[in-house]
Amino acid sequence: MAKCFALMGWSLPVIESMQKLNKPFVVVSFPDFESYAKENNIPFVSYQFDEWSDASNSLDLKDKLDAYGVDVAVPLFEETVEWAGALNSLYRDDPKVLNRAFLFRNKAMMKRKALIGGLRVGLFEEVYSKEGVLNFMNRLNQANLQVDGEEDSWVHIKPFASAGTVGHRLLRSKQDVEEKCEVEDFPCLAESHLAGKEFSCEAFIHGGKIRFMNITEYVKLGYSNFIPEGNYLHTKRDRIMKEMQKLVDLFGIQYGMIHPEWFLTEDDELSFGEVACRIPGGHILELCGQAYGFDALAAFVCCHDPELTEEELNELLPPLDARPSTFYGNVMIYPHKNLISKLIIPEELKEEPYFLDHNLIPPLTNQKVNSREGFGNHFGTVNFKGDDPDRMTELLLHYENVDFYH
Amino acid sequence: MQEGVISISNLESFDELFESYKSATVLTRGEKAQKILGQLDAWCNTIEGIQQIYERIPAMDQAGILKDTPWENPSRLVPQLVNGTYKSGHPNSTYELLSELRMLALARGKIEASESMKEEAESYLQEALVLNLEFVFNEPQEETRLLMSEHELKKVHSLFGFVSEQIQLSKVKAALVEELELICEQRPVVTEKQRRIIALVKEKIELDPNDPADTALLAFQRSIYRPTSGTVDKTFAEYGEYLNGLKETQLETEAEQISESMLSYGLVSTYHATLLLFLVKEKKYDLVAKCLALDEAGVVRFNEHQEFVCSIIADVIHPYNAQCIYGLSKTLENGVLSRTAVRAGLHNLLTISLHPKVEERIIKSVGSSTSAVSPKQYLIGALLRILGQPLGVGQGNNPTCQSARGISMWSQHAPAKLIHMVHSAAVHDDLSFRFEGSEIKYSESALGLVQKLDHQLDAVSVTLVPMLDKIYNEMMRRASGRGEDPHKWVNPGLYGQWIQIGFASAYDYLSNAIVDFDGFLRVFYGMCHPEYNGGHRLVYPNPVGIFITTAKGEMLGFHAISLLRVEKDPKGEERAYFLNPNNEGRQNWGQGITPSVYGNGEIHGESSLPIHQFAARIYAFHYNNLDAASKMDKIPQSEVDTVKELAKESWGKSYIWLEFKKQW
Repeated sequence: MAKCFALMGWSLPVIESMQKLNKPFVVVSFPDFESYAKENNIPFVSYQFDEWSDASNSLDLKDKLDAYGVDVAVPLFEETVEWAGALNSLYRDDPKVLNRAFLFRNKAMMKRKALIGGLRVGLFEEVYSKEGVLNFMNRLNQANLQVDGEEDSWVHIKPFASAGTVGHRLLRSKQDVEEKCEVEDFPCLAESHLAGKEFSCEAFIHGGKIRFMNITEYVKLGYSNFIPEGNYLHTKRDRIMKEMQKLVDLFGIQYGMIHPEWFLTEDDELSFGEVACRIPGGHILELCGQAYGFDALAAFVCCHDPELTEEELNELLPPLDARPSTFYGNVMIYPHKNLISKLIIPEELKEEPYFLDHNLIPPLTNQKVNSREGFGNHFGTVNFKGDDPDRMTELLLHYENVDFYH
Repeated sequence: MQEGVISISNLESFDELFESYKSATVLTRGEKAQKILGQLDAWCNTIEGIQQIYERIPAMDQAGILKDTPWENPSRLVPQLVNGTYKSGHPNSTYELLSELRMLALARGKIEASESMKEEAESYLQEALVLNLEFVFNEPQEETRLLMSEHELKKVHSLFGFVSEQIQLSKVKAALVEELELICEQRPVVTEKQRRIIALVKEKIELDPNDPADTALLAFQRSIYRPTSGTVDKTFAEYGEYLNGLKETQLETEAEQISESMLSYGLVSTYHATLLLFLVKEKKYDLVAKCLALDEAGVVRFNEHQEFVCSIIADVIHPYNAQCIYGLSKTLENGVLSRTAVRAGLHNLLTISLHPKVEERIIKSVGSSTSAVSPKQYLIGALLRILGQPLGVGQGNNPTCQSARGISMWSQHAPAKLIHMVHSAAVHDDLSFRFEGSEIKYSESALGLVQKLDHQLDAVSVTLVPMLDKIYNEMMRRASGRGEDPHKWVNPGLYGQWIQIGFASAYDYLSNAIVDFDGFLRVFYGMCHPEYNGGHRLVYPNPVGIFITTAKGEMLGFHAISLLRVEKDPKGEERAYFLNPNNEGRQNWGQGITPSVYGNGEIHGESSLPIHQFAARIYAFHYNNLDAASKMDKIPQSEVDTVKELAKESWGKSYIWLEFKKQW
């Protein structure tokens, strides 16, 4: 068993899970959290993650962590993936662990890697300016045999290294390119639009093998998802499993959890979107834990430990073929107006048997809503729970359009 | 799903959330408590839901759900803060609700507590209940209505309904007396609220006639339940039988006692109708006049129109709508019934058939419909109440202050027009107005302000208000976009041509700011202040727009009232007397500005404020534009400055102020 885990990033639920598990750990995060950690007796090393210099680097951090006997680093957030990678490279004496971390942090690089390994991906390119996006769109239009008057092919742009949907823009036309792209967006990844059902997988990996895999069905990207996957997607589970193991082998992932996004197109093809190796957004691990009845955060951390025994793994993770009968889903709530003053929970929600909870709070008097850059900044989450995935889908789609803030 | 019942799955959801809360450490407890509250919030719409929460409160309390919150220690909580906390909405209101239920559990021993804590909890709840009667009876005040969502209102109504069933009120008698006096002194047209409080007291408190503290409450009870010595232990039907056996002098005593009882609080008992109908049937006209509690002028008018009045009594009055006797009496005293047009209008009303939709609304408004009284009788009864007590008209729980203000104004100054409006509305379920040369018809207008009329209103209001509201909104629509407050044109269009042409607004539409407030105040003082307007009185009520502010003086919204008169009060201070259609006697507008409803020279139904305090909340009024300029300079700057400071420090903070002079 690991002597001590370094939790890279501040997350109260993860800390709580580790306390309950009674595993040794130390939290590494920004100095802002130090006083809270001290008050609550949380082992803590303060570190300035956004600084990289002679005095602030992985060797220095390793020195500090040695005092705690750390031998496994666990990235909780996108921004700590390289730090954890660097530390684990040192702990495992394997420089490729760090390179792999870079792979997770560059969306163009990971796609290229996937392409080489025979996974299906959309057309993609690194772009450096608006011009670049326009050229990319033009080439895409050509390939799609566009004739005059037909719509442009849709293009997505994403920062190379941001979490999830942050900074993600969908451009539907050249006019969109002109209007929506900012100078700060570049350089970034441009890619063609993949039509189809989007979902993510959370594969808990140990010794290079998938030991448990969850499928999260996205009802609408950035708004709503539920777990386990609905019945149709479930019929594809074996295929998805095969593709997932391919991805694991290709990326050479030995320990931890990966969270790739996939598209299942109408012609039944699986396309790879992107992959991350930290805690996924959208409260996915929370839903996953509720649906499968296990502590998904504890499992996430422990899978990073090469010395975890078979017994411990079986205790931490649900069986590989588990299929829960209750579905847990959530919808993230954004205000629909620019100026809001009231939170109104609709009557229908209160009478909804699937309604589990919400954490919405009323706005300040006449609060201005910050304009949304891509996705993000939701005001709260409404959770649902029920036995019928189709009803769940219906509900999530419905509540995405319900205005809670007036 | 059965209404009001929490579904099994939601009960299970609570269990799941609660388990997860209990297993959480201090690190994530806050977040998990929030989720539980989100689920419980959904249960609060009904008493059944509150019951479910109450059953779970000991376990939640034990698990520490209120720990590390302002509600942690029950003996440190103050009932005075309850109301404001509910107004701040979820999650605070849900915490507050849990705290009240914990108090109840403490008082009832469901959560273990010392005797003194039990006692304390009981007192706390009684006090909280009296301070929140608006929630108990679901009759929110203006501020409450502006701040709380429909769900939050249902929530507090369910909670206080539940709590009031569980506790006594023996410790808050004085507060109840004050509440009743505040309401009754205004002589509202709708008397349900005071009747409900009196009934609540009857049910909840064992009163002792020998205890001076109880005499006031007993007097209120008597005025409804036992107004004369002859009514003791009798139903009104038995009382009717009993009257047959009385001698003339005994009947006279009954008539005197019953009229005295009516005058004391403006509340009429069922027995009153029985007696009055009996006297009319027996043609004892002198006693009819006595029974109506008429003053001298009233008696003269009664004698003049005796036949007409008696036929109205016989056709309209019934023990179940007895309250209109008070109104009828006042229509004789204020002379409205002496007008030929009014009598003609009432006569015509007796002959009409009501539109089924109007009947429906009236039946809904009286709650328990009884076949003994027809909707038409309710309607004419309500009309008598409004004609007799123009200042008792209220908007109920509706954002329709404009319409209520109109009904009150017409009742005073154009009663026959009001009757005629009621007539057309009741027959056709439609109403049409002339506005700037074209017609506006209710049936052809789009939405009004009120989407779902609250029916705790009198029968005239439920007939007219939905229509007036739409017509008003249509007028506003047509008059908007002119660069000025549309009320400038809508007020005369809606209320009548006696509204002055001049219209002063503190707010300037074009610059989106408060412009020349000094000038605005000077016009106002010149319009109504006897010291500066040549000692003139107001002729017609002036429709005034005011800012509603919180007890902290913060801007909340807009409200419509009528300024009725400006006069010296008994203490010699110049006061503005006005009609506030929201019938609320316990208002606090911040900065020490608290309108009073009695004790400062108010006629029943009026509210009043010292003139400078009133001026510090107004934003629009009408005035004589030919007069204004000559009077503006007479007002001392110091007076203007006092008002301006109050204004700037309260609602004024929500606006930009521009000081340049404007042409008034």
